[in-house]
Amino acid sequence: MNFSLSEEQEFFKKTIADTVDRMIVPKAQEIDEKDEFPWDLWRDFTGLGYIGLRYPEEIGGMNADKVMCMTFYEEIARGSVGFAQSAIMNILMGTYFIFRFGSESIKERCLYPAMRGEKVSTMCFTEDQSGSDLGATRTTVVKDGDGWRINGTKMWITNGPICDFCTVLATTDPSKGLKALNFFLVEKGTPGFSSGQVLNKLGCRGTVTGELVFDNVWVPNENLLGQELGKGVIYVGEILDEVRLMTGAMALGIARGAYAEAMEFAKKRVAFGQPIGNFQLIREKFAEMDTLMNAARLMIYYGAWLLENGMDSRIIAAEAKMYATEVCLKVVDELTRIYGANAFAYEYSPQRYFRDARFLLYGGGTHEVLRDFIGRTLIGKL
Amino acid sequence: MNILVFIKQVADTEARIIIKNDQKSLEIENKFNMNFFDEFAVEAAIKTKEKFKDSQITVCTYGPKRAIEALRTAIAMGADRAFLIDNTGLETDDSLIVAKILAAFAKKEGFDLILCGRQAIDDENANVGVMVAEMLGIPHASAVISFEVVDGKIVKIDTEVEGGKETVEVQLPALFTTQKGLNTPRVPLITGVMKAMKAVIPTVDPTTLGLTKEDIDLSASGIEIVSLDPPQQRPPVKIIEGETPEEKVRNLVRALKEEAKAL
Repeated sequence: MNFSLSEEQEFFKKTIADTVDRMIVPKAQEIDEKDEFPWDLWRDFTGLGYIGLRYPEEIGGMNADKVMCMTFYEEIARGSVGFAQSAIMNILMGTYFIFRFGSESIKERCLYPAMRGEKVSTMCFTEDQSGSDLGATRTTVVKDGDGWRINGTKMWITNGPICDFCTVLATTDPSKGLKALNFFLVEKGTPGFSSGQVLNKLGCRGTVTGELVFDNVWVPNENLLGQELGKGVIYVGEILDEVRLMTGAMALGIARGAYAEAMEFAKKRVAFGQPIGNFQLIREKFAEMDTLMNAARLMIYYGAWLLENGMDSRIIAAEAKMYATEVCLKVVDELTRIYGANAFAYEYSPQRYFRDARFLLYGGGTHEVLRDFIGRTLIGKL
Repeated sequence: MNILVFIKQVADTEARIIIKNDQKSLEIENKFNMNFFDEFAVEAAIKTKEKFKDSQITVCTYGPKRAIEALRTAIAMGADRAFLIDNTGLETDDSLIVAKILAAFAKKEGFDLILCGRQAIDDENANVGVMVAEMLGIPHASAVISFEVVDGKIVKIDTEVEGGKETVEVQLPALFTTQKGLNTPRVPLITGVMKAMKAVIPTVDPTTLGLTKEDIDLSASGIEIVSLDPPQQRPPVKIIEGETPEEKVRNLVRALKEEAKAL
């Protein structure tokens, strides 16, 4: 049993933490307050090459292992969740199906520019009436000549209103549920493809999230991303565990940021003639937070290790996502208690952590869906 | 151009530091960085290499094995190679000994230009750079805020002087220590990070640099730490209360007279 990172992984962790501290942390409050996509930061940060994190070196990526990827997701979310959401969408979900199934010309047009940060990508699953329940997808696709015709509306799409291309989930037959799902590439400028409502979110501000409309959109055959029709849900399974672990790592990142704020405050804030960190009830909060965060960390990185080594990580990934997010919610709540009334003012950062943490409840599966999945998998078919 | 950069790995400013029971040594949380002022030296070296492309940047530190991480950071930024002179068993706080070792390394490796931070932010001695220059018999300038290699032989630099700045030209080979404001150290590109992760960083035994163990061990030092004490706790901030600005000023003047006895 060995829990240590390799020297290379340690170095990567330190480097990405320093990069986040220098480039992202100083801008986090402004990103949240303006709630506009931070194009300058996007250009500077993506210019470093991190969007290619998980792709092979031969195409300009870093070929990072899953443990390193979690380190990255954790650190960038510690800096700014609003920014992290957009970057991670480009790194993982927004480009994965292009990388896996795209033709070379599609990769030239979409993947490589996205890895350089020159194009913004997204993936569209969610609709106004379906999220975790992918089988209820209502966006349809029908064969039309040498291509496919897509109709439907997607909602809650991270990067949606600013994306240059998207991977859209559509069904060839809504009555067949999960067995009729497929992915298609749709690029900006395709007739009938437009963005609709931009959502005014409680947290993760700075990431532009909204509606994408597919009104009789026609795409050529090569835009079908998958070797076989109707296998979309299987292809989703290839990254589902990573997406769940990533969401857990982001939750841990937010929790660490909040914990650090709480620690600084507890050391400085004087009440009754001494720093409040001297009081037992405040100390208890730190003991609890640290315990919970360590447990979450062990689950996430154990899951990443299983995933990296090709072992079954389905249950631990779902558990880690759920547990780390609940831990995050607890830690941001404790931050607001330690901070006192100032936590309730927009001028200070605790309210930002408090709002941001809520978003992770939904991505990667709601906790109600995950609990059902875990229980069902453990008990099996009776 | 052969550029040498001397760096030091120091405790992070937010690391927990406790004085051990012997009152002479420290227990430091495992959070270390490249010294703040050394980052400017690495950046200046890289900028020089961008101008004189056939340059080679060699980074070196005298420190423990964990200092390899700081060397990797320099490679990630753009240095070509790095060496750790391993101080295991020879740990010292004596700048003179550190300078002897680094000067011996410089002699062995050869150099046209040496850069290092103006001081380490842990011991704040600001000695090593100037001592190395003296031992090598080369000119030096301290705490430079502007640095440009003009034609491969002359370096034009600015340093801060009381109320202004001084511009100086220095003939190479020379040593310069770097000050905040000289440049903005770059954030490493992912390609640099990957190069640094894979880099093999040789470890050098200091006794192979033409120095004997007796030259550099504790007995060679004329310095002994007598005791370490934590900084005094600052008293809490007092906020002057008052309904109106006038009342606040009255209360401030009263506090300055009666409590602080400053007036």
